[in-house]
Amino acid sequence: MMLELFGISMTVVLYWAAKKLYQHKPKVYFSPLILSPLLIVGFLLWTGIPYETYNVSASWLTDLLQPATIAFAIPLYKSFATLKKHASEIIASVLCGSVVAIATSALLAQLFDLNLRMVDSLIPRSVTTPIAMNISEMVGGIPAVTAVFVIITGIFGSQVGPAIIRLLRIENEVARGVMLGTNAHGAGTSKAFEFSAITGTVSSLSMILAAFITLGVAPWFLPVLMMP
Amino acid sequence: MLVLIKSLIQIGFLLVFSCLMNQLASWLPIHIPGSILGIIVLFFLLQTKIIRLEWVDLGAKWLLAELLLLFVPSAVGIMQYKEILQHDGLRLILVVVISTVVTMACTGVLAQRMGKRKERKLS
Repeated sequence: MMLELFGISMTVVLYWAAKKLYQHKPKVYFSPLILSPLLIVGFLLWTGIPYETYNVSASWLTDLLQPATIAFAIPLYKSFATLKKHASEIIASVLCGSVVAIATSALLAQLFDLNLRMVDSLIPRSVTTPIAMNISEMVGGIPAVTAVFVIITGIFGSQVGPAIIRLLRIENEVARGVMLGTNAHGAGTSKAFEFSAITGTVSSLSMILAAFITLGVAPWFLPVLMMP
Repeated sequence: MLVLIKSLIQIGFLLVFSCLMNQLASWLPIHIPGSILGIIVLFFLLQTKIIRLEWVDLGAKWLLAELLLLFVPSAVGIMQYKEILQHDGLRLILVVVISTVVTMACTGVLAQRMGKRKERKLS
């Protein structure tokens, strides 16, 4: 029992510590989504405990990911009026973003000579995990590998997003939200709520829209991109 | 303390709700993931006041605030794919990095331009 609970306890404690540290010193490498996994991987490798043992109880946290995704309905409901006002630019930019994400992933992966299953697994990497795994299966990728790309995209996107916002001087709250939600799903949305409530809500909506659009577009768009 | 208990009950409610949605999604003839269906159904139930905001608000707030915690075990899971990462790692990371930066720039700039044009029209 003790051994089973160590996974979840360790994750919660290290996450909490990393969060406190990050609040104190907001450096990229102190971000809870980077520091805590690194420490845990280090610990598991050092002690030789297999991932499966760690994940017995840690997977309870992963199980909460789906109710958490559904919970995005609440900020959507609360700020429905604001969202309606900005509907056209949100829909247009998420559509453009999703298509560019699919196209650049597929073309770059081909350019770098990655094998076909890897290309297919890369395609849905910018949308939220449960849906990305679904799409991956539909287009012929490996869902578990897609989940890895999704998490890497989320970590990278939520860290590089604020830099791009500064660099390109994206001052519009709605535009910031669209950017983070379309490209870095839940992790990006979490970052978006650090900017403002509106940015966060727009990001939630963009994340959902991007999942829808990718689900609809990827299966037929991909064969077009992959033509020799 | 009361807030904590309330939050836990509400998270439990959302968990049950998400299981129901998975079940519902598997019965539907169209291919739609349970989580997306869940967002739509919950939104609709809130709009029609069948589910009241107070019933889910605290739990949802907690889940969304600690969302990153829920990603940690999956991030640790990357260690299982050492071979793939050793073999194709650099190229895969490059695809993710370049594609993310390009797409973010496109979406951000487009949304900002459309927003500005709308403001000008309104004023």
